[in-house]
Amino acid sequence: MLTKASYTLADGTPLSDLVRVPTREVQMRALSDPEIYQLEMDRVFGKTWLLLGHESEVPNSGDFVVRDMGSDSVIVARAKDGNIHVSLNVCPHRGMRISTVDAGNTQIHKCIYHGWAFKPSGEFIGAPVEKECMHGKMMPKEDLGLPQARVTLYGGIIFATWDLEGPSFEEFLGDAKWYFDTLFERSDKGLEVLGPPQRFIVRANWKAAGEQSAADGYHTLTLHRWLGEVGNYSKSGDGGSADLSPEMYGVEVSSPHGHALRCIDLGRKIKKLSGLDPAELTVDQKLEALPPPGMTREMLPQLRKHLSEEQLEVMVSMPPQVGGIFPNVLFAFVYIPQADGSVLGLTLLHAYVPKGPDQLEFVNWVLAEKDAPQELKDRMLMQSIQLFGTSGMVEQDDSDTWPHMTLAAKGARGRRSTLKYQAVYETGAPAGWPGPGIVNEGFTKDDTQWHWWLYWNELMNAKA
Amino acid sequence: MSAAQQVAENAPVIGNPIPVGAEVYNRIVGFLYQEATLLDTIRLKEWGATLAPDLVYTVPLRQTRPMSQQAQSVIRTVQHYHDNYRSIMGRIMRLTETRSAWAEDPPSRTRRMVSNVQVFATDRPDEFAVVSYLLLTRSRFDFPDMDVISGERNDLLRVDGEGFKLVRREVILDQAVLGTPNLAIFL
Repeated sequence: MLTKASYTLADGTPLSDLVRVPTREVQMRALSDPEIYQLEMDRVFGKTWLLLGHESEVPNSGDFVVRDMGSDSVIVARAKDGNIHVSLNVCPHRGMRISTVDAGNTQIHKCIYHGWAFKPSGEFIGAPVEKECMHGKMMPKEDLGLPQARVTLYGGIIFATWDLEGPSFEEFLGDAKWYFDTLFERSDKGLEVLGPPQRFIVRANWKAAGEQSAADGYHTLTLHRWLGEVGNYSKSGDGGSADLSPEMYGVEVSSPHGHALRCIDLGRKIKKLSGLDPAELTVDQKLEALPPPGMTREMLPQLRKHLSEEQLEVMVSMPPQVGGIFPNVLFAFVYIPQADGSVLGLTLLHAYVPKGPDQLEFVNWVLAEKDAPQELKDRMLMQSIQLFGTSGMVEQDDSDTWPHMTLAAKGARGRRSTLKYQAVYETGAPAGWPGPGIVNEGFTKDDTQWHWWLYWNELMNAKA
Repeated sequence: MSAAQQVAENAPVIGNPIPVGAEVYNRIVGFLYQEATLLDTIRLKEWGATLAPDLVYTVPLRQTRPMSQQAQSVIRTVQHYHDNYRSIMGRIMRLTETRSAWAEDPPSRTRRMVSNVQVFATDRPDEFAVVSYLLLTRSRFDFPDMDVISGERNDLLRVDGEGFKLVRREVILDQAVLGTPNLAIFL
């Protein structure tokens, strides 16, 4: 257990007072205070594993994309040895940004200011006018490379951290990995991106989006009410009723590291598609009736090569559909009802990159199984764009909400108001639930988001 | 990302320019002004009536790329909008027939300034390719910031009686990272 360090904010408030554990409240100033934001850049974004993209974005030697780790720009590049390196995008000479573009291919990243040059691996190649030794004689070349983040690939997804000695990515995911494997490690060839990510700015604190990603199912009922009015759920279930609440029962998995998964009951969909009672169906019959998002029936035999029988049971009954990887990642592996009665699965990842205390960059990757037929990828791509991200009819309402929370958190009175996470599960895991973690069954409640804040609190108050 | 996706979907064959001030040029400018009015005054169903059933409506992503790679600065794989007639009408339905399209309720106050209009004949006598600049200002709530969206529209218009129908619109935006929280509005 990390010991609490006493840090006091400029106005005398102890940092550890922001999250009130006994009453499950968070002081709203956490959503706007520049001092808290500065601490987060080191204590949260300097410590955790961060999503930077997918290896299919940089398939060839020399390919690179420029991304952000917290408030720092980094170059994500594939080197000649085939490995992906994440280098701080700052020239060690005079601090110029080395790459000023979004993506490309090069074996030499050359700073345009004085011409210092670096390999995709970040190694310093040299500086112009070799005979004058313009990088000086005080430091060896080996020490003039670009600072390297620690990189891991998980299902091809690129994660990196500045915490070189900290927990492995696997340890960071902890029990949640068992569930995440059903999304990212389920097929032979894995996922790929269908293109570069959408990017847009929301004038909101990154945590307004981050805490929602920790499996806030409840907001769907009101904020996304249109889904039941004219949207994809308007004719499903209870005969065109606008009540979305029956879609919100299931199982929620929390994590001591703030990861969260909303495992939503598929029974109603499988019953509708197969005409049979899901309780009477085998795992294979259920998979056949409704394959996991982005997979075809032909791909189903791959699942057993990668996953256990217990994981398959969860996938066909209450699969993880939305949730988050701490601190700023949302995943959506959703089953979208179509007008013709069929279901189209979508697979997306978002990162909410902090851009100051009251601004975030929404980065949206649309994914598909590499093995899936092009026709399915095309349909997934179009529907992903129409429902999620920039113009997405679901998420345009989210991005219009978070700025108001951020503004409210700036008020002299508002900043002392609290976010409340007092809808507490009293159920525990369903009987026979085969998965690990902190598991609760029933209507979506606040526990997963509360655990998200507890981990934020733990990191913020950890001794450096 | 296949090479085919670097080319706009359903792109027309562009023919000779129609001179500024020609009768059809003027009618097309009139159509664009009227369209801007419909969108700015949120008469979305009337706007929907100006769309052709074979509509393709796309807004590619932009990337910052070196001068030598400008073709790759327009991304037509993942895009901001990738719609057809059916999905645009679905968006209009969400905005007009629900009371929970919060991203535009209360609605933004917008101005669509359409300028630099160039009209070209195409390989079909009843269709015209229209290139124009769009400067869209968007104000929400009591926020002092005005979102500005700028870009180039590449339209295909089809003669429809006295007026036109929009058959194709591709908007090439200028920002690689959009400065507005969503595109709940039409461009």
